[in-house]
Amino acid sequence: MTMNRLELTQVPIVKKILVSRWLPWSLVALTLPVFVLAILAGLFGTPAGSRNFGIVFVWIVWWALVMLLLVPFAGRLWCAMCPIPAPGEWLQRRALVQPRAGGRLYTLGWKWPKRFNNIWLQNASFLAVALFCVVILTTPLVSALVLAAFALVALAMSLLFERRAFCRYLCPVGGFIGLYSQLAPVEVRVKDHALCATHKNKTCYVGSAAGYGCPWLVFPAALDKNTYCGMCTECFKTCPLDNLALYARPFGADLLTSRGRRLDEAYKAFIMLTCALAYSIVLLGPWSVLKETAYAVGSVEWWVYAASFFAANLAIVPGLFFACAWLARRIARAATSTRELFVAYAYALVPLGLAAWVAFSLSFVLVNSSYAWQVLSDPFGWGWNLFGTADWKWTPYLAGWIPLLQIPILLVGLAAAIALALRAARELRMPQRAALPIVAFCAAFTLAMLWLYV
Amino acid sequence: MKRELFALTIVFLIFVAFPAALFGYQAQRTTTTGARVIALTANAPANGGWQPDAIRVNVGERVRLRIAAPDVVHGFAIPALDIYVDEILPGHVEEIEFVAARAGRYPFACTRWCSVDHWRMRGVIEVIDPGNPDPPLPTIAPPLYQQMNIDIDAPHPAQNVPAQRPSAARGARLDVSVPGDLRAQSPSNVFAELRGDPALKAYSDGQLWDVVAFAWKRASGDPASPGADSALARGSKLFVRDCAACHGETGKGNGPAGRNLPGLAAMQTDSRMAHGAYAKRGPADFTDAAQMLGASDVLLQGKVLRGGMGTGMPEWRTLYSDQDMWDLIGFIRSFVFDYGMSNAK
Repeated sequence: MTMNRLELTQVPIVKKILVSRWLPWSLVALTLPVFVLAILAGLFGTPAGSRNFGIVFVWIVWWALVMLLLVPFAGRLWCAMCPIPAPGEWLQRRALVQPRAGGRLYTLGWKWPKRFNNIWLQNASFLAVALFCVVILTTPLVSALVLAAFALVALAMSLLFERRAFCRYLCPVGGFIGLYSQLAPVEVRVKDHALCATHKNKTCYVGSAAGYGCPWLVFPAALDKNTYCGMCTECFKTCPLDNLALYARPFGADLLTSRGRRLDEAYKAFIMLTCALAYSIVLLGPWSVLKETAYAVGSVEWWVYAASFFAANLAIVPGLFFACAWLARRIARAATSTRELFVAYAYALVPLGLAAWVAFSLSFVLVNSSYAWQVLSDPFGWGWNLFGTADWKWTPYLAGWIPLLQIPILLVGLAAAIALALRAARELRMPQRAALPIVAFCAAFTLAMLWLYV
Repeated sequence: MKRELFALTIVFLIFVAFPAALFGYQAQRTTTTGARVIALTANAPANGGWQPDAIRVNVGERVRLRIAAPDVVHGFAIPALDIYVDEILPGHVEEIEFVAARAGRYPFACTRWCSVDHWRMRGVIEVIDPGNPDPPLPTIAPPLYQQMNIDIDAPHPAQNVPAQRPSAARGARLDVSVPGDLRAQSPSNVFAELRGDPALKAYSDGQLWDVVAFAWKRASGDPASPGADSALARGSKLFVRDCAACHGETGKGNGPAGRNLPGLAAMQTDSRMAHGAYAKRGPADFTDAAQMLGASDVLLQGKVLRGGMGTGMPEWRTLYSDQDMWDLIGFIRSFVFDYGMSNAK
């Protein structure tokens, strides 16, 4: 497939930055103090969430940064600057910037179990966090403990397993960032596959004196979508043939390829779609009893909520979509199995899901981001006023504009989903009408979101 | 190697120096402001109530309470130290600074009806004199109803009930004085005494009830100085703050928080209650003349300070001063007696 791409690495300064060993360390050096402060504020600061740096900067500022900017426009760039795996990776390397001993790693180096060589564990870890999100998002102490637990698990996994096993297989955030990074207008790819074939040492994968083998266990020459590329730029440093490039490309380019479609990724799409709707209902809807139930962890009502949450994510929404796929098969009288259609069509949900998450995020990010000024001056809620902004009043930004932003975003997401569903039908050699049940599913979801927000 | 050393220094600064600077700044700030900062979290009782619910400070120590309310709107009061924070909004932090001059135990409480169990939301600040950390417990006189051996749980129906609402204003115009301390007597009994006095034969029942109403209004405070600071105004404020949620703004016992009082359901069905007169009743109806006029102020004081009655009525002894108590009871009388206040029903 040919595609219009612009090689950004032809700009000398871009190239220089990407091959520099200071990247990504310098990015982590920026995010790590924020992460440390978020944990300290959660542990020792005020339990009032809107006055605690740990809540405001993680679940409003960081979330806005990731969901509204980085994922839609820069793919997995966050993974390159994420502070959570950094200490483990530094211990694994026994170095921060310069590679030691030809890229050797100091770890037990266990191979990741083959049966988990997928993102099912990421789906599970995301669902686990999502189930408790009302508590995590509002309770600084719990939020800090969860973040600290992520860092400790990542550290332990770095010492036991090879490379970034935590990021690749377990991180609850990495799963959806990977899924939606397929939409991003940037990609890291090799320039010339034939040149890679001539390179026997494969230093991009095994490492060299210049750097480490791909921490994400990806062979760059085989890279055809962003999902598992953490944009750590290690391959730029280890490739002796200058065969890696950073490209600008059209939005959603990865979704135009039908290769490598998998059930675990399809389920990630369902989970993200369902959670966007569920959060919109529970956190932002007018039914406060739902929010109270989600908060009352351990109560009988909460168990009902938990069972409903899992059922919606794992059975009801995928079940409805499976019924649509079955209907599509019947309409087309296709020989393709329903399961194959189910997986293929699920990728149409990627732009719809991201649009839903952007719409959901806009509704609380713009309303609540003014809390950032207060916690910047008083991160622990201890009465500090470091920058003179502690007393700035809560001010919702662009509140009247939010629905006007949400509507086109959701409609663009729907349009992209319909286009991808029609394309999938063509790829599967089925008539366009075979995509109608999927189109109806996407339209119903969009209408539900619009009803909630407008 | 230089690069590595530089990066290592930065990481060391992030993990060690940065947190140390944060906590060091807080320690230095606390020292220079001269106040001990105590974080207090106000959660509805179902979410844990006050955390901590017991605070120890020293006599003369400057204390800054930083009160956060993560869940719903709360209020804060240490009545004995005259400290009140009217409103702590969810997600906000309110600060208050004080110096406790005398050793003692000072209860504090939430002053907003934050939940059904709001009244459970109490704590205590213990002020210790370092020179005398274990002073003998002060002798506290038993409340009046105990001294006078009054059974506050016994029925107290009024023997006489006025045909219309007695008016203190009309009573003031009549040249009849009511001698003696009214606190130990019920209005019904005082009326009976007046009615039995041959010298007052010319007065109608209604007029004598007006006299009783005026006598009670006069006893509740100085009628010559009404206004925002009068005893009745203070009592009204306390009623609105602490009582209206259950007893209703109009005193009819129909406040929203009184509908699900713990123990109420059991009370409504338990025929073994000591006194049948209380069966099937929730918060008291202060407009019910048949009950209210049969109760002395001392009896009412007993009910307010002890609480209970199987309804979930909280005790107010630890939070109210004697003056608060009498101010409140004086105001409660205004639901039966027309004192010319805006709560006239």
